[in-house]
Amino acid sequence: MARFILQRLMAALVTIWIATIAVTILIHLVPGDPVRIMYGSFQTTPEELEAIRVRLGLDQPIWRQYLMYLGRLLHGDFGNSIVGDQPVIDILMTRFPSTLALTLSSLFIAVVVGMSLGFLAAYKRGTWVDVSAMVLAIVGVSMPHFWLGLLLLFLFALQLQWLPVAGGDWRSLILPALTLGLANAAVLARLTRSAMIDIFDQDFVRTAHAKGLPKSIVLYRHALRSGLVPVVSMLGLQFAYLMGGAIVVENVFAWNGVGRLAIEAVFARDYPLIQGFILFFAIIVALASVVIDVAYAFLDPRIRYS
Amino acid sequence: MVHGTTAELADDLATNGSARSRGFWRALLASPSGMIGLAIVGLLVFSALAAPLLAPFDPLRMAAGPRLDPPSAAHWMGTDDFGRDVLSRIIYGARLTLQIGVIAVGISLTCGLLLGLVAGYSSGWTERILMRLVDVLFSFTEIVIALACLAIFGVGLTNAMIAIGIASIPFYARVTHSVVLVEKGKPYFEAAIAAGAGHGRLIFLHLLPNVIPTLIVIGTLGVSTAVLAAAGLSFLGLGAQPPQPEWGFMLSSSRDLISRAPWMMIFPGLAIAITVLGFNLLGDGVREALDPRQRQR
Amino acid sequence: MTTTHQTGPILSVRDLTVSFGRGAGRNIAVQDLSYDLLPGETLAIVGESGSGKSVSSMALLGLLPPRSANVESGTAMFQDKDLLSLPDAQLRGLRGDRITMIFQEPMTSLTPVLRIGRQLTEALIEHKGMGQADANARAREMLALVGLDEVDRRMRQFPHELSGGMRQRVMIAMAMAADPAILIADEPTTALDVTVQAQILDLMRDLQSRFGTSIILITHDMGVVAEMADRVVVMNRGRKVEEGPVADIFSNPQDHYTRKLLDAVPRLGAYATAAAPRSVVDKPTPVGKSLVHTEGMNKTFHEGGWFWKKGGGTAAMQDVGFDLNAAETLAIVGESGSGKSTTGRAVLRLLELDSGTVIVDGMDVRGYGKAGLRQARRQMQMIFQDPFASLNPRISAGRLVAEPMVIHGLASGGELQDRVEELFRRVGLEADHIRRFPHEFSGGQRQRLSIARALSVNPKLIVADEPTSALDVSVQAQVLELMLELQQSLGLAYLFISHDMAVVEEMAHRVAVMRRGRIVEIGPRKAVLNDPQHAYTRALLAAVPVPDPDRTRGTLPVIDAGTLPMGALAEVAPDHLVAQ
Repeated sequence: MARFILQRLMAALVTIWIATIAVTILIHLVPGDPVRIMYGSFQTTPEELEAIRVRLGLDQPIWRQYLMYLGRLLHGDFGNSIVGDQPVIDILMTRFPSTLALTLSSLFIAVVVGMSLGFLAAYKRGTWVDVSAMVLAIVGVSMPHFWLGLLLLFLFALQLQWLPVAGGDWRSLILPALTLGLANAAVLARLTRSAMIDIFDQDFVRTAHAKGLPKSIVLYRHALRSGLVPVVSMLGLQFAYLMGGAIVVENVFAWNGVGRLAIEAVFARDYPLIQGFILFFAIIVALASVVIDVAYAFLDPRIRYS
Repeated sequence: MVHGTTAELADDLATNGSARSRGFWRALLASPSGMIGLAIVGLLVFSALAAPLLAPFDPLRMAAGPRLDPPSAAHWMGTDDFGRDVLSRIIYGARLTLQIGVIAVGISLTCGLLLGLVAGYSSGWTERILMRLVDVLFSFTEIVIALACLAIFGVGLTNAMIAIGIASIPFYARVTHSVVLVEKGKPYFEAAIAAGAGHGRLIFLHLLPNVIPTLIVIGTLGVSTAVLAAAGLSFLGLGAQPPQPEWGFMLSSSRDLISRAPWMMIFPGLAIAITVLGFNLLGDGVREALDPRQRQR
Repeated sequence: MTTTHQTGPILSVRDLTVSFGRGAGRNIAVQDLSYDLLPGETLAIVGESGSGKSVSSMALLGLLPPRSANVESGTAMFQDKDLLSLPDAQLRGLRGDRITMIFQEPMTSLTPVLRIGRQLTEALIEHKGMGQADANARAREMLALVGLDEVDRRMRQFPHELSGGMRQRVMIAMAMAADPAILIADEPTTALDVTVQAQILDLMRDLQSRFGTSIILITHDMGVVAEMADRVVVMNRGRKVEEGPVADIFSNPQDHYTRKLLDAVPRLGAYATAAAPRSVVDKPTPVGKSLVHTEGMNKTFHEGGWFWKKGGGTAAMQDVGFDLNAAETLAIVGESGSGKSTTGRAVLRLLELDSGTVIVDGMDVRGYGKAGLRQARRQMQMIFQDPFASLNPRISAGRLVAEPMVIHGLASGGELQDRVEELFRRVGLEADHIRRFPHEFSGGQRQRLSIARALSVNPKLIVADEPTSALDVSVQAQVLELMLELQQSLGLAYLFISHDMAVVEEMAHRVAVMRRGRIVEIGPRKAVLNDPQHAYTRALLAAVPVPDPDRTRGTLPVIDAGTLPMGALAEVAPDHLVAQ
């Protein structure tokens, strides 16, 4: 298994490495002179622009720029933001805990609601339970995050006034987490259902029934345990989608995370911050998928004992 | 292709198509999801085409009625903060939505199909490098790639469509690649090689017809993803700009007025949700109609 | 196999009818099936695919998918209870305890995420109320009984750590641990290699005499029936067509279908005295001069790494070489993983060799450029194992048959049309089936299509990779007959890859036996099959079940995998070479 984990770690490193290349290319794809686009609006003199160009190494050939950028990254230097001239890494780290709280609580909701719904639907395949669960799921999949958010906001915060519209405490986390969690629960329910249906059709489930085991044991010991393997393997991607979805949801609920930061940065054309965000996002998603892969390896003896 | 002519190729595809298409439509209409999906998508296309006839007002005309007027006989879905008729804006919005779906899916389908086909057919180093890259981009998620594209191109609805198209390429490439691998692994492919078939015949006569059904399915489902994403970007202010009657943008301008004019929030959201639902159902229906194994489930 | 039956039947099935689906789509799978199972006997239920033989037994245990299958009528009395009307909970109490089951696919029939020990003990704990320690002791005892070594380690292992044969032994241990009254074995050896099959059949017989279990053996294989059964029920299309003691069924079959089935079964030894396959045409083309010459072929498969190829890898072919003459059949026999299919593909250059020589019709196949290779493929065609997967589902039958001719520019327009029609008739298909698609044909018809396709370019060599192993025996017989006829009238050379010794004896002029990537014995059919010199060939031949209840297979020769000679070939008689 050590070999498997090492492989996954390598894959994560490659992901991050490609992300560094991508963000370097990004700045050069912007039409025009990057320095002028970034700093031109701040009434800077040509001399100052030249100084910035030299400081950022933008006068060097591109491979050199990349190596310099990589060198700075290894020292934890993501550059400085244009707006406010603060270290990008500091801005990201101040905002990240909010995003992490949001994504983890949504992941929890998505897993609990989505997986149980999908499992139930698969188990009751073809009955009204299955049909209504799947109707619910496809409606959930089709519901825009932001609209669901606004509806929840309208209902619980404005009409019923049970929860605050915004703020920073845990109660204001409930609505965004519910929004993001429920939307992804629908996706997960569909995935879980089809994975479990595959499992129920397997020969070994028939063997377990032929042994005369009670349905509950066949279900939990044989089917569910085996079904968890493919379902857990999908969670890495689900986490990435939650991180992506957080960008929108944070904006609906004025939740001060990195997602909201990213949109502000795009509007302000704050390229160092955009670069920092993309790279940061890639790192988090890559690390999360390593964690999920390790969990997956523990669940599947075919990997655990190889 | 060495000896086979393109006419023969077209003939092959045609006989094949007509023999199967009747069964396909029957199966599609027999499945509840296919039928409902087809109805919703049909309605959307109809309102897009007939918008000038259907819409009671000019979607851009301010003060078509009083400002923030609740739904009434004159304004079925009420009016917005500029007194524009919400219903008319939603009907015209169908045009933009359809445009988004077609352009974004067109971009991602074409590029994804090409990439996946090249990677899957070539195998070896080309395949490894291409697919590793695609996997990495895929893990960035569509929204981040779209944001990066918008950071490059600048904001706006057209740019948003293109950005969404580009952002979904990795997904289409992955699906195509995996289908190509499955088909390449089937004995009929080896049988074609053994018969002496060249690259052109292998790709266009043997692989492509077996890859296309899957792509039709994911392309249909992909329209819903693209519509959702474009509405999301417009909602964030990165896509449609005022005064375009784009649903996501309409939602975003309703935000500060939710308690005073909830209809401004409810109807555009409903329009997006129903459209997306329609394409999702249609996609599921097409999948069931194309794959008899799924039909039994 | 002689047991005296004093008591009445232990199980008596009456008028069992099972259907699938509802309304217009209703499909009767089993109709009015009745039989008795006597204590301690083995009752074989025999039939081809779609005969309802499996469905009828699954129905007894309530294991059919509840939403699609309906048991419409019938009774099945077991210990004064009707299994078919028993409440779920009570049936479950019998299942896995008094009546147990083993299945065809040992690779997928065990739960992948649970240890062997857990899977062996859970039924004992459930039904017998044993504690974990007692159940473990019983499980270990059973594992030893089914012939597994290192029992304590096996208990802790997961299914993927065991081979197919070992897994089937575990399944048998699991089924026998509760000392059941009835064991239902559904094609228990079909997925196994012939030597493993022989061991598993021996094991089942041994356990039956030890425990006195009654066995219902569901199978399509007449050899297995002759070897195992006391009595036989023959089924066709959901109905019982004949029932009787095994000796009567084989010596004096009453029903037309039973006779047809028995006639179609290839019997090893049936052509033992002939030096060549039987003539099916008036003037068969005589065996000609050398067509294929191969020498020193090597191929190692590397496991695909994450970015790079992993080191090591498995050697699929080592120093393989043989000759094949025009109008001759060389059969390559071997078990799974022996490299026989790899060899066939290497000759057609469907895979690239690491080293070696392949000469076909005087030309070096490995030396061709891409265009040259495509031209050369006119000479050599292939017939694949799986008739369902080897035809592109989206191309019509006529176009499939025409494709090789179009590729090689041999015919076009009306001429092409005529040629396709002629080929359809040549292989026994109707010309008006040209517009149909592959899924509209039966398995046997599809294999005829494959043959027509291969024939269309008038090749000299056809590589046939297990061409009939996916077919029912009656269909197999027809396809083999067609292949013989084509060879003898057209002078085709066949490289005939098979795992079935009896089929090989019917088809081959010469035989090569492969094991673990090497040819261990090669020579004229009479020499290899009647006078095998290599220990592995002898084991392979001894393991073949004989479809004749009067002849017993005899005990299996013990072969020690480690000491089998696997070196270079040496001539022991003219043209008869054996690994040293």
